Amino acid sequence: MHQNKKFSVVNPSKMCQPMGAVQALLGVNDTMPIIHGSQGCSTYIRFQLTRHFREPIEVASTSMSEKTVIYGGEFNLMKALKNVSEKQSPRMIAVTSSCLTETIGEDMSGIIEKFKDANFDKNLPIIVPISTPSYVDSHVEGYNRTIKALIEHLAVSTVPNNKINIITGILSPADVKSVKDILEDLECRNIILTDTSENLDAPLSESALNLYKEGTTIEEIQDTANSIGTISLSKHADSGGEFLEKHFGIESVSGPMPIGLENTDTFIKAVCKLTNLDVPESVKKDRGRLMDALVDAHSYNYHRKVAIFGDPDFVSGMTRFTCEMGMIPTVLCTGAKSNRFIEDIKIISEEKHINPVILAGDDLYDMHREIKNVGADILIGNSYGASIAEEENIPLFRVGFPIFDRLGAQRISTLGYKGGIEFVDRLTNTLLDYYYDESGYEIKESDKIVDDEIFVEGEII
Amino acid sequence: MEPIIETFESRKKHMCVKGDGISIPVCDKASLPGTVTQRTCVYGGARIVLMPITDSIHLVHGPIGCAACTWDIRGSKSSREDLYKKGCSTDLHEKDIIFGGEKKLFETILELNKLYNPGAIFVYATCVSGIIGDDIKAVCKKSEELTGCRIIPVQSEGYQNHNKTKGHWIGGDALLNHVIGTKEPEKTTPFDINIVGEFNVAGDLWGIKPLIEAMGVNILSTLTGDSHVDEIAQAHRAKLNIVQCQKSSNYVAKKMEDKYGIPFIKVNFFGLDQTVNSLRDIADFFGNDEMIEKTERIIETGLREVEHKTDEYKQRLNGKTVALYVGGNKAWSLVRAFEELGMEVMMSGTKNGIKEDYEMIKETVKDGTIIVDDANSTELAKLLKKYRPNLLISGAKEKYISLKLGIPFCDFNHDRISAFAGFNGFVNFAKEVDASVSSPVFELTSKTFGGD
Repeated sequence: MHQNKKFSVVNPSKMCQPMGAVQALLGVNDTMPIIHGSQGCSTYIRFQLTRHFREPIEVASTSMSEKTVIYGGEFNLMKALKNVSEKQSPRMIAVTSSCLTETIGEDMSGIIEKFKDANFDKNLPIIVPISTPSYVDSHVEGYNRTIKALIEHLAVSTVPNNKINIITGILSPADVKSVKDILEDLECRNIILTDTSENLDAPLSESALNLYKEGTTIEEIQDTANSIGTISLSKHADSGGEFLEKHFGIESVSGPMPIGLENTDTFIKAVCKLTNLDVPESVKKDRGRLMDALVDAHSYNYHRKVAIFGDPDFVSGMTRFTCEMGMIPTVLCTGAKSNRFIEDIKIISEEKHINPVILAGDDLYDMHREIKNVGADILIGNSYGASIAEEENIPLFRVGFPIFDRLGAQRISTLGYKGGIEFVDRLTNTLLDYYYDESGYEIKESDKIVDDEIFVEGEII
Repeated sequence: MEPIIETFESRKKHMCVKGDGISIPVCDKASLPGTVTQRTCVYGGARIVLMPITDSIHLVHGPIGCAACTWDIRGSKSSREDLYKKGCSTDLHEKDIIFGGEKKLFETILELNKLYNPGAIFVYATCVSGIIGDDIKAVCKKSEELTGCRIIPVQSEGYQNHNKTKGHWIGGDALLNHVIGTKEPEKTTPFDINIVGEFNVAGDLWGIKPLIEAMGVNILSTLTGDSHVDEIAQAHRAKLNIVQCQKSSNYVAKKMEDKYGIPFIKVNFFGLDQTVNSLRDIADFFGNDEMIEKTERIIETGLREVEHKTDEYKQRLNGKTVALYVGGNKAWSLVRAFEELGMEVMMSGTKNGIKEDYEMIKETVKDGTIIVDDANSTELAKLLKKYRPNLLISGAKEKYISLKLGIPFCDFNHDRISAFAGFNGFVNFAKEVDASVSSPVFELTSKTFGGD
C-alpha cells in the first residue's frame, strides 16, 4: 500500500470550478446563483456547503436532461431565468456553467441576451454569466473567475471613493470578519469581495431563508473601479484586481494571505501604503499579543513536524506561520496545480531553512504516502484528513473546507493578529492534549514502549 | 378550495391531501428550471445504491467535482474493509474532453487494481464522459481481461433523467448484468435468502441480521450494505429476496424474479409491529413449522427486551406531529414507527417518487395527510411555516431550512448516527426523535429579547 501512482486521483484535495463560484456568490447581497447543468451539480454543492456552514444554501439549477443535452439548454436556461426573476426577483442572477454545458458548447451570454430582448419591457435583475468549466483547474479558479466576472460586468468608473478593494479568496465567515475588523481598526474604508461574514454565519431567524440582505452590494461592486487599490488576499484570486488595474488604473496587490505575524505585517503595510494611513495603537497591541502568544507557546511547538493541506494560499500562509511558531512543515499539499504555490513554498523554505515535500495538484493519497515517508506530529486541514490522522495516530487540526464532522467551521479564524492568537492557542492545546500527560509532562516514545511491555507481561501471567 | 401553499401554477398538482379525490399527486416530472430542487442526478442515484459494497473501488469517470462531492458521504457501515470509502476519480481535464478519456480511464483502472487489489472496480459514467462518447463498457471489458479483476461499467450519465430512481435501476442493472449469477455458493440450504435494498446506514443491517439468522435462515448476500462483490455474485441461488428499501430495490427484486425465478416479499424493520410482521412473513414464506415456532420465540424475546424502554420517550412525544420529506422509501416505511410512538404523520413527501411509491404512501397514511412531490426549497419552507410540524424528517440539504424556522429536525439520511432497524433499533429511534422534539432549545427560539 502507498506506492507511487500516476493516473488516478484517490481522495481528492480539490473540488470543481462551480463550487468556488458558488462560494464567491454567497457573499453577494440579494443575488441568486444558478448552475447551468445537471441537478446533481447544484445539489451536491449545496450538500457540501450546507453541512460545512450549517446554514441553508440556495443554488438553483437549470435541471438539464437528456433531451436538452441533445437540443441544447437554451429552453431550460431561459425558463430558469424567467422563474427566478418572477418568483425570487433578486437584484442579480449569476449563472455559472458546468462541465456538461461547457462541453456541449452552450452560448450562455447569447441566451441571456435573447432573454433580455424578449423581456425588454420588464424590470429584470442584472444577469451575469460566469464560465466555470469543471474540467479546468479547480474550485480555486472558479472563485477567481467569478470575482473577475462580477467586476467585469459591473464596475463603472465615476468618482474616486477613497476605498480599497479586498478580494478575500475562499475564507471562513469568521476570517472575513477578521479582515473587516482590521480595516476598521485602521479606519480604512473598504469594499469586500465578497463578504460572506453575515450570510454564512447567520443568526437563527426565518429571514435566513430569504435572499441575502447582507453581503457585498451591487453598488459596491460597481464602485470597485473608483478605489485606491485592490488587495487580493489569495494570489490565486487576483484576476479581478488585475482587470481593475488594466482597465481603470487601480493598483493591484496580490497576496500574501495574512496568516501569522509576518504575512499580517505585510498585509497591513500594503493597506497603509495604499491609503497613507498610520497603524493605530490598537493594532500594534494585537500584534504584541500575537507575539506574546507565540512566546508563551514556543516550547511545546518547537520542532514539531506538521503536514498541511488545503487551498494553495492557505497552505503557503500556514507554512510560514508554523515556521514562525518553531514547527517544521514536512508535507505541504494542495489539489490545485500551481506554480505560484510552488514558488511561494520555495521562498519560505529558503528563508526558514526547511525542506518540505511539496505536492501541488496532488491528492490526499499522495499526502498520506509522504507523511509515512517523512513523518508528521500533527496534520492541519479539513475533515477529509481524519482517516489519515487516525491511521498515523496524530491529531488533525481542523481548518479549511469542508469541515462536516465538527461544529463551528464558520467560526474558525486564523487570519490577522487576532485570528493568529486564536490559532496558536488552539493548536498548542491540541498538541498538549495529545503529547503531554495530565501533569503537563511530555509523553516520550520510550514511555509508551514501557507501557506496552507491562501490558504484554500482564497477559503472559 | 384553498391551495396547500402558494406556488407556481404547474406545481400545485404535485401536492394533495389524502382523502380528497385520488390522493396521488402528479409525480415523476422534470423539475422546474430555476428552482432550488432537492433532487440530484442519475449518477448520484447509481452511486448511492452501489457504494455500500465495501471491498470494491468506486471509480468516477469524469471531472473532479462529481467524485469530490460524493465520496464517503453515505453513512453505510462496514464490518470489514473500508475500500468503498475512497474517493476515486479519473479527474478528466480539458485535453481529455477534446481527445477522449478512454486511455486515461484504462490506465487508472490498471493502477487502482495494482494499488488495492479490490473485489471489483465499479466505473461510473458522468455527464461529460457520456457526451464525449467514451466507451466505458469496452474499456471495462479490456481491463477486466487484463487484470482478472471484476471491472463493472455503470452507465450513469448524470443528465439521463430528472429522476434519480433511474440511477438506482442503472446501479441494479450493473449488478444484474455483471455480478449476480457469476459465482456458485459453496453450500446452499433450503432457507437461503438475499436482503435487498438494505444499505447498512448507521448499522441497520446489524439489527436485522441476527434476528433472521436466529430463525434458521441463511443470508446469502445483502444488496448492498456491508457486502462483498463475491457474495452478491452468489445471490441467484437464493430461495427468497426480502426487500427493505422498496424505492430503490423493487426493480432488482423484480428482475431477479424474472431471471432466476426468485420470489420476493416486501419487508420493513422500522418499528416494532413492522419488524414482527416482517419476521412472520419470512417464516410464513418458508412454511417450516420449526422455523415458525422459533420466530415466535424470537419475537417474544425481542419485544420483551424493549418493553417499557420507550415509555419515557412516548410520554413526551405523544400527540406530536411529524412531516416526512425523503428520497422515497421512508415516506411510508417510517409512518407506523411514528404511530407507535404516539406521533401523527401530517405530511409525507418524496423528492423522486414514482406512481407506485405514492400508491404506497396513500395506503399507509391517514386521511388528511398532505402528500407532496418534488417540493423545492422554497415550497418546503412554505409548507413548514404554514403547517408547523413538531418534527421534520429529511436530509442534509433540508436540515437548516427546518432549524432556522425553529422546527426540530432529524437526519435519517446520510448523517444518521444510530441504527433504527429491528427491536433495539426502535429504542434508538425513539431516543433520537425525542432528543430533537423535546429539546428545550426549541422553546428558546420563540422567545424575543424583550421576553414577550
